[in-house]
Amino acid sequence: MALPKAAGLLALSLALLCPFGGDRAWAQEPAAHQDPAKVGAPPPTVVSPPSVSAGQGPDAEAVDVTLSPECRVPGSKLYTLARLGAVKAALKEKRPVRVLAIGASTMGLGSSATYPVKLETALERSLPDVDVVVESRGLQGEIASGAGERLRSMVAEVEPDLVIWQVGSHDALARVDLDAFGTALDETVQWIKGHEIDVVLVSPVYTASLASDDYYTSLVRKVQEVALREGVPLVQRYEAMRYLARRNDKGEGHLLGSQFRLNDLGLRCMAEHVTRAITLSLLQPDPASTGSAGRPALTLAPPKESAGTKPSATAPAGP
Amino acid sequence: MREPNAVDFWRGLALVTIFVNHIPGNTFERYTYSQYGISDAAELFVFLAGWSIGIATRNRDGSPEPRLKTVLRLMSRTIEVYRAQITTMALALGMIAGTALVLDNPLLLEWHNAGSFFADPIQTMVGFVLLTHQLGFFNILPLYVVLLGIAPVFVLIGRVSRLAALFLSFLLYASSLVFEWNVPSWPGEGDWFFDPLCWQLLLVLGFTMQDWSRTSPWLKRWSRRLLPAGVVIVLTGIVLSVLELRPDPLLVPDPRLVFTFDKTYLSPARVIHFLGVLLAFQTLYGFLAPRLGWITAFLASLGRNSLAVFSIGSLLSLAAQLVRFWTGGGVVVDVFVVGSGLFALGFTAWFVEWRSRKPRVSSP
Repeated sequence: MALPKAAGLLALSLALLCPFGGDRAWAQEPAAHQDPAKVGAPPPTVVSPPSVSAGQGPDAEAVDVTLSPECRVPGSKLYTLARLGAVKAALKEKRPVRVLAIGASTMGLGSSATYPVKLETALERSLPDVDVVVESRGLQGEIASGAGERLRSMVAEVEPDLVIWQVGSHDALARVDLDAFGTALDETVQWIKGHEIDVVLVSPVYTASLASDDYYTSLVRKVQEVALREGVPLVQRYEAMRYLARRNDKGEGHLLGSQFRLNDLGLRCMAEHVTRAITLSLLQPDPASTGSAGRPALTLAPPKESAGTKPSATAPAGP
Repeated sequence: MREPNAVDFWRGLALVTIFVNHIPGNTFERYTYSQYGISDAAELFVFLAGWSIGIATRNRDGSPEPRLKTVLRLMSRTIEVYRAQITTMALALGMIAGTALVLDNPLLLEWHNAGSFFADPIQTMVGFVLLTHQLGFFNILPLYVVLLGIAPVFVLIGRVSRLAALFLSFLLYASSLVFEWNVPSWPGEGDWFFDPLCWQLLLVLGFTMQDWSRTSPWLKRWSRRLLPAGVVIVLTGIVLSVLELRPDPLLVPDPRLVFTFDKTYLSPARVIHFLGVLLAFQTLYGFLAPRLGWITAFLASLGRNSLAVFSIGSLLSLAAQLVRFWTGGGVVVDVFVVGSGLFALGFTAWFVEWRSRKPRVSSP
């Protein structure tokens, strides 16, 4: 059912602004994907038909081939989508899109390849003819105690159209009360949205030693719940990294530092993953469908996935 | 070793408060006074630092020491604080990295601002020694380095005219608020967590008020008369923070920092609240000191050795954070980490004094 629709969308969605009725977002790969080719930016992949066939279970789902090979993750593992009204408005008015990237690892990996720089490049590649300005800030402290307040000051200072927020690491490290965390996150997201600024949440990292930590997985789930409740897109960094971890598992888990390599990869892919979620969210229909957009059924699946099926990284990207 | 006094006592309390508040999520956090006001222990700490400068740069009879001596004294203190900051940051990074390796857990590398040090060590190392890259919870000493560095200017102007020093300080503060001047962070974007251009106001207030209180009966009389006003401000602060009422930074008029409760820029509301706290609690030490017994002696000993206690305290609160994360936290763990931390702070103070009492044969 996704296929014929997506084929039509391929043409339609070239103009990102134009709303259309269809929200099976992860089936709509080619939309944003064609743009890079159009502007002549280095497109790492080839235009291909939608990568998901109807009827397949989530685990059999093919990876999102618009991502660079090392970062490929199936869409359902990677994001849930929702409307981004403020960014759309900025695009309509043809003014630069101001982005505030907030989070723990907003810096790093060499001067030319930092996350903010990569993010800006990736976003500009996905949104041709749009000027994207990314400001990044580290946010110290916990959302449950005071960091939400500092975030408000940062937002007031930068006045962005979109806040991309890697959230939860510090609260997880401090093992703050989960309900206090959830409430504070809800309030802060509501505040940002209340000022007509879009929010994209990015969940905390996956690492093997935390996979069995109930507190941690509950916190990751809390971020999912808040994203769903507030109707904001979520980049499921945890899920994506877990997928990459399984795919890259070469049986060297016992080696010191294997988790650190995965973490590196996660950081490298983050800009791409975030961009993907934003681009697809921009294709969300305009009517007040927030909260139910995307594939909510999948988002609430706990990080601890029940199925033991090994995701196939080599799944053909064809229909 | 001096006898317990109000300055050391309150500074000791500020140190304990900072230690507890720097273990986020712990059970005792909600019992510190920082949770019940607009300003917190940081204001008290910086103000008392200024007060101590006032004491340190005068002889016992109140006459000012030679100017050059004052400049050299402050310079030497600046170097001492810088050294403490570099040492504690290096140890903190080692503790974070070591724990991440032992627990095989890269999440720890994302610990408040530490990430860039591990991901981009070339630039961050430079920022580290320049103090432009700060770890979360380790950003008071960089502020202190800058404040002590510029203190001679204000102290020497204050010798000529206290009003001139205060006026200059206030001018710098007000302009920084209005124009949002701050020292940039590097690498990465953003600014210092504590803006020295704003926070200098408390330091200058501290040493001018120390000087005034020494000479002017007027100040004493009026601060007594204004005590009720202080109590009202403190009560208002309690109500506002318990109900979490604060201005929305996107709704206040320009210049917005004047109206918000911003910690980085020390917004006026924080200064007013802090002055209220000073007025309300000015006589409390005299009342508390004899009644608290060993607690008075304990807090005063921390306050006397504030730099050492603060440095060790920062590392202990980091250690406590790591232990809480590793064990999963809980009341028992909190009692253990906070209890042993307080004991270690007391030991640090005792050890520093023991070392300075020991006759020095020769430097190692």
